[in-house]
Amino acid sequence: MVRGALFKKSLRDMRKSKSQFISIFIMATLAVFIMTGLDSIWFTIDKHAYNMYQSTNLSDLWVTVASPSEQQLWGISKIQGVELVEKRFSIDADTDLPGKPTLHVYALDDRTILDQPQLQNGRFSKSGGGAVLDSRFAKAHNLRIGDYISIKLNGVWLRIQIDGMALSSEHIYAVKNSATLTPDSLDYGFLVIRTKALESIYGQKVYNQISVKTSPGSDLAQVVQKAGDVVGDDVIGITLQKDSGSVSSVNSRIQQFKTLSLVFPVLFLLVTALITQSTMVRMIENQRAQIGILKALGYSKRSILWHYTSYGVIVGVLGSVFGLLLGPNVFGRIMVPQLKLTLSSYSIRINYVNFVFALFLILMCTGGVSFLACRNLQSDSPSALLREKPPKSGKRIFLESMPSLWQKMKFSSKLIARNIIKNKGRLIMSTIGVMGCTGVIISALTVRSTLSGIGDYTYGTTFTFDQKVVLDTAKTNSVYLKNLELDGITQQLEESAVQVIFPDGVQKMELVNITTKESPLIRLQDIDGNPVSLPDNGVLMTRKLCRERGLNTGDIIRIKLTDKGYVSVPVIQIAYIASGQGIYMTDTYWESIGEKFKPTALLVRWNGEPDRKFLSSDVVADSATRESMQDSLSSSIGIVNLAVVFLIILGASLAFVVLYNTGMLNFAERVRDLATFRVLGFHHREIRYLVLVENYFSVLLGMLSGIPVGRFISWIIASSIDERLDLLGNITLTDVLTAGAMTMFFAWIVNRVIAHKMKEIDIFEALKSVE
Amino acid sequence: MKISKGDPMDFITFENVEREYNIGDTVIKAVDGISFSLSKGTFNVVLGQSGAGKTTLLNLLGGMDSPTSGKIVVNEKEISGISEFDLTEYRRTQIGFVFQFYNLVPNLTALENVQLAEEICPEPLDAREMLKRVGLENRMDNFPSQMSGGEQQRVSIARALAKNPQIVLCDEPTGALDSETGRRVLRLIRDVSRDLGKTVIVVTHNAPISEMAHTVLHMRDGKIAKVQLNEHPKDVEEIVW
Repeated sequence: MVRGALFKKSLRDMRKSKSQFISIFIMATLAVFIMTGLDSIWFTIDKHAYNMYQSTNLSDLWVTVASPSEQQLWGISKIQGVELVEKRFSIDADTDLPGKPTLHVYALDDRTILDQPQLQNGRFSKSGGGAVLDSRFAKAHNLRIGDYISIKLNGVWLRIQIDGMALSSEHIYAVKNSATLTPDSLDYGFLVIRTKALESIYGQKVYNQISVKTSPGSDLAQVVQKAGDVVGDDVIGITLQKDSGSVSSVNSRIQQFKTLSLVFPVLFLLVTALITQSTMVRMIENQRAQIGILKALGYSKRSILWHYTSYGVIVGVLGSVFGLLLGPNVFGRIMVPQLKLTLSSYSIRINYVNFVFALFLILMCTGGVSFLACRNLQSDSPSALLREKPPKSGKRIFLESMPSLWQKMKFSSKLIARNIIKNKGRLIMSTIGVMGCTGVIISALTVRSTLSGIGDYTYGTTFTFDQKVVLDTAKTNSVYLKNLELDGITQQLEESAVQVIFPDGVQKMELVNITTKESPLIRLQDIDGNPVSLPDNGVLMTRKLCRERGLNTGDIIRIKLTDKGYVSVPVIQIAYIASGQGIYMTDTYWESIGEKFKPTALLVRWNGEPDRKFLSSDVVADSATRESMQDSLSSSIGIVNLAVVFLIILGASLAFVVLYNTGMLNFAERVRDLATFRVLGFHHREIRYLVLVENYFSVLLGMLSGIPVGRFISWIIASSIDERLDLLGNITLTDVLTAGAMTMFFAWIVNRVIAHKMKEIDIFEALKSVE
Repeated sequence: MKISKGDPMDFITFENVEREYNIGDTVIKAVDGISFSLSKGTFNVVLGQSGAGKTTLLNLLGGMDSPTSGKIVVNEKEISGISEFDLTEYRRTQIGFVFQFYNLVPNLTALENVQLAEEICPEPLDAREMLKRVGLENRMDNFPSQMSGGEQQRVSIARALAKNPQIVLCDEPTGALDSETGRRVLRLIRDVSRDLGKTVIVVTHNAPISEMAHTVLHMRDGKIAKVQLNEHPKDVEEIVW
């Protein structure tokens, strides 16, 4: 019975203060929505990719050597932490399909367990006859099981039957070469065959890679170092799983969204927490007299406490659950498929750990806070509670200590100033809300413009070619290139993945770009925009890479030479490149350390029309225009734009809710004063002015404090969003002004609504209510 | 709009004024067809039990409410049926209010509460001067919460008069005060309005107060039961309640 009556009271109370309950509900929903939503994106990718790595037994590292010997295999298997060592053959091959797509061919022994294809249908026969084809590639080329496919290995065509379709852990996000940035299954895929099939071409089984599986928790850097010692000068390169093409792309995607889902939900949760808790406290304090009545009626302390705590708990739980239902479904379902990843499953996974954390925080700020506020009031006697709480008295404010200013202020300004100071709580609440909104929008816009700025910087400032032509190195040589006459400016470029040992002991393959000293089509700059040139007696490294490895000019790195040992080279120059981190050096320096300059690509700026004849000649393996590369770079980060739009919408909702909430409070709590003004003969618009100026004041304050918040968030995001991109994360005036204008616009809408509400309410009722 | 000029009896005129309220399905006639006239510069009392319709009458006269039917003319201008904006203008220039619970703005000092009038009125009286007249020259910089009930009511009177209105409306001005303070407040209202030539209407359920009025309107059930004219209004000190 007792519960029943109280429960009815709860429902009616909620209906009565529905705008506050709704705003708490919306804020809880928003915070959980954005947290679980952003989390679900990376969590889904992470889980599914991890499952694929597990089920296909993806190696932890690969040692590429010309031809692995049994001693080398044995030596690596003895390294502490190494569980399993196998060898395989891995190479890019041409096909005879239309468009001349490339297939990456993996040849595995029949007993291998590492780096298996994940069969979708068909089979991978052990006997060695058939092949397993990339199912995306098969779909793009309309190939079926039983069809034949021809690949060119070592200059010889190999015709092989397709036995199965599969996905590969190494091809979740795989691109063909340096001219492409986004996966295109029409142009690039993989094919897995048995090593036996190679016998017809090479006369024997051939291998070029040692796959190494380590036990969990082993020191990979140590393993790499020791494996390097084992293979010695035979090494071509050692690649850790996390540095390999597809895995590192997937990881950087995960990292991108992990960063977003760390920063934004924390901001939203913080704002939500602050605002819900102060709203709850106000609501409970307004129930002061009712608590007195309930106590006087003889309700127990506990049932009253629970009655008021349940208010917060109910909205908190409802909002959070609603956010949980919405977030992953909206964010995850929209964003995950846009990431162009080839996973075996796209079903959305939810990070419940973070959800529980958010729920806990929200319940603390709703239920917990109402519990405390109610308990505070309970310590008073019922009779004390039934008495009206004495109104806050007016106070002198600091401005009055400056009489010259205070006396010049208009009367309404004085009133507004005093009221603002008197209701600091409300001011802080709306300021924080607006600060969150402006901060989110600034950082969202900054992320967007830095990312799109990358395309402009990379392909506008750094690279100034019209076309990048990837050469078929088997058909070109220095004589050919010397005699090549094209109508335009050309620059020869050798791009080569080279094993490097850094001073900190880290060994990994880095992209080394070798080009001519003049470098007419690659304009390198330092961080301040001053042009820098390639050094004569050492190498140039990009800023991001230097930072990662803690390098400065003058430090020495060791570069592995082909078929020879390592050579020490000094870092002479550091340049800022937004996209494309690596090492740059001149052809003369490359040759001076004992290598041969073999251009793999030709950069061209045409004087007139592109030379079609040259581009279609067989020395050209591939070519890409600067525009297409820029588009492709933008589209590879374009997904972030979608997230940005979401974030702006959410930032706006936050501002709406908070401003409406505090704006209505400002009105409701002063309705008696305002009614007095009305009676005295103030017009609607004059009263509106009094209320709205105060609201706009907090908006202005919030906007200003939102700038450093936005700056800070932008900086965090820029520094952690993608290790291949060197983002500065500087906020621009345009973005700040845009964010400010948007916030102002939201505030304007909210104030229109409040002004409308003010007109609706019978203001004289307020005066009568006390009598 | 204009009615016969010059007759001071017609400064305020109500003609068959009705005010109905819809509460749910029932219609309540708070003011049920009343007619009366009051002269300029007089002190008048509206007397009646609670629920008799006196506050509604005051609201109609004060431009806070409009009649359902009938005609109200104040100072040769009809105020029944004019727009919300014009009503506000009317309140602004013609009316001063004194409430039972003072309705001072807690955020403003006594002086600033009175200065509110200067903000909006075309010909306000000096705020300091008004506060001096109600005997609060030493309390000007105090906030309402720092003053007693009687002092707050005096600020409220100063505020009403500083607007330099034609009419001062008082709704139970002594209702929240002890009898001695109430007496002083009433005398203040009468003296100051007489000096400034204002017309005063006091609404009360406190019958003895009516003895100090020129005209007493007795209200019952929304109607005027009796209009009583006092040739010689008593002084406040002579009244016992």
